[in-house]
Amino acid sequence: MKPSGKGLWLYAIVYLAFLYAPILLLPLFAFNDGTIIAFPLKGFTLHWFEVMAEKDQLHIAVKNSLIVASASAVMSTILAIFAARASTRYDFKGKGAIIGLIMLPLVLPEMIVAMALLVVVLQVFGDGALGLFSMIAGHSLICTPFAIAILSGAFQSLDKSLEEAAYDLGEDRISAFRLVILPLVLPGIISSLLISFTISMDEFIIANFLGGTQQTLPVYIYSSLRFPKEIPVIMAVATGLVAVSICLLIIAEYFRRRGVAKTGGKDSGGFL
Amino acid sequence: MTTRPMIELKDVQKYYGDYHALRGITADIRAGEFFSLLGPSGCGKTTLLRTIAGFEDITSGVVMIDGKDMEGVAANQRPTNMVFQSYAIFPHLTVEQNVAFGLRKDPRTKEEKAKAVDEALQMVGLKGFGKRAAHALSGGQRQRVALARALILKPKVLLLDEPLSALDKKMRENMQVELIRLQRQVGITFILVTHDQEEALVMSDRIAVMFDGEIAQLDDPETLYRLPKSRRVADFIGHMNFLPAKVVDEANGEIDVDVQGLGRCHINAKQAPGTNTGGEASIGFRPETLTILYEGQSASDRETTGSVEEVVYYGDMTYYDVKLDGVADPVRLSMRNVPGRPVLDRGTKTRVAWSPSALVLFR
Repeated sequence: MKPSGKGLWLYAIVYLAFLYAPILLLPLFAFNDGTIIAFPLKGFTLHWFEVMAEKDQLHIAVKNSLIVASASAVMSTILAIFAARASTRYDFKGKGAIIGLIMLPLVLPEMIVAMALLVVVLQVFGDGALGLFSMIAGHSLICTPFAIAILSGAFQSLDKSLEEAAYDLGEDRISAFRLVILPLVLPGIISSLLISFTISMDEFIIANFLGGTQQTLPVYIYSSLRFPKEIPVIMAVATGLVAVSICLLIIAEYFRRRGVAKTGGKDSGGFL
Repeated sequence: MTTRPMIELKDVQKYYGDYHALRGITADIRAGEFFSLLGPSGCGKTTLLRTIAGFEDITSGVVMIDGKDMEGVAANQRPTNMVFQSYAIFPHLTVEQNVAFGLRKDPRTKEEKAKAVDEALQMVGLKGFGKRAAHALSGGQRQRVALARALILKPKVLLLDEPLSALDKKMRENMQVELIRLQRQVGITFILVTHDQEEALVMSDRIAVMFDGEIAQLDDPETLYRLPKSRRVADFIGHMNFLPAKVVDEANGEIDVDVQGLGRCHINAKQAPGTNTGGEASIGFRPETLTILYEGQSASDRETTGSVEEVVYYGDMTYYDVKLDGVADPVRLSMRNVPGRPVLDRGTKTRVAWSPSALVLFR
């Protein structure tokens, strides 16, 4: 059915403008030759990117973020593969409760998770333990439910007899998994890695609580916002982040579509 | 045919928790035969097949394949291969890669393997399809890939789990003929699981009819159809009419029965293949053993009268429900539609020919 009336069109346009116009402002001011974030624009410059390239603390934050996000993505995806396979393939006592509890962080206020983890880490390991490892642990915890949601879908759509067929044809359990199951859920695994990476990348609360002296990018940006002269540099950083995000999204969609095409499934629409 | 059976099942029992899925299955399956497990859903036929394949452990009993006890032998070590109901074609591989899947640990050279794959594809009528993506195949083609993938390993036994149930009627009938041809060509023992009695009758050398985890009767198709051992088997395979009957006398291999509506007659003791259960006796007969007599025709054996209650026209055949005089429920009979044999209208009075030799006694 075609939407009728100009009202709905207007609504859609206003909605999209509200969603994306602010993001479009970021590169605008990143290239603006002025220290104040205000119109009118003053002229084109790459100065802020040069400043960005020289800030050691920023580089450390980016490095920390990449380490934490990569490790969390790998961690949570591995955990999710086990959980998703167990929940789709086997029946066992208390399955519903166990999966429910694993998925709970999805709806639990992150503040609570962050505080609880902070208390535990401080009490059990002392404040020397705060840092990259504690952040990775926290981020794995919150990314795992998302990874499970994605991977359950991938495992669920697999015909159980595929694995049996591989086994019947002479493979053992492990090689059957490697040769048949893994390639078929690979698009799901890549999606899971990317989503977990993204979630960890822009997570602030846990990073702020459990980071100790180590800053991740969001924490660095937040602390820099207190200094007005840093703001154009932040704009440049944000512009870079937007560019990276778009690239990741395109990669994710490419793999998703390839996965759909490879297994002959119907494209039920993805991110793009 | 060798004297030793290919598969020997001895008192195979299988429990799923409290559920008794297989209740003492004992059967021999001969080498090179096309054997079917036939029964309604939930009768244990698929469980039995999976037991032979090694996907299910048995609770007790013995499964021997080619003289070897399969206890503790995993599915990937057994000389059996399976064609799954869903075909289980690996969607991420090409047709060729699917067929060659089981050859991964085969010591032959790449060229020899490629040749074997080509031969297998040719055998199932998929020559030239090797490079296609498996997920782009039709149902019938997937079925063929599944067959090629299993047969390339030259198993001693090929297990087929309802392989034709996903195909449409025409395709199914074609595949039935092709499977028979293929089985004769390769000479491998085929075990087919099906709930379709017609499919089992068409394809099998012998059929085991299963109900509630037990084999109710194991015979060749003709015996199964003509001399079912129980009313349940008779009902499951084709249509059978039943009339109440009384056994009057029994001596010298002859049984004297009094059948409602048909009267007294002698039948051979072989016509009572079922064991004596002590229940109410009844006489069964197939629709095609009754014949409507047209004017001027006379019965070669016995005849009775009745009136046509229902007419179902099938083109080549017409099915009549006829109420025989002296019988409460109508019986079904079938007539081939040949020239000079008009289709009767409902309500027509008619004479019906029958023969004691076509009766089966259940008691």
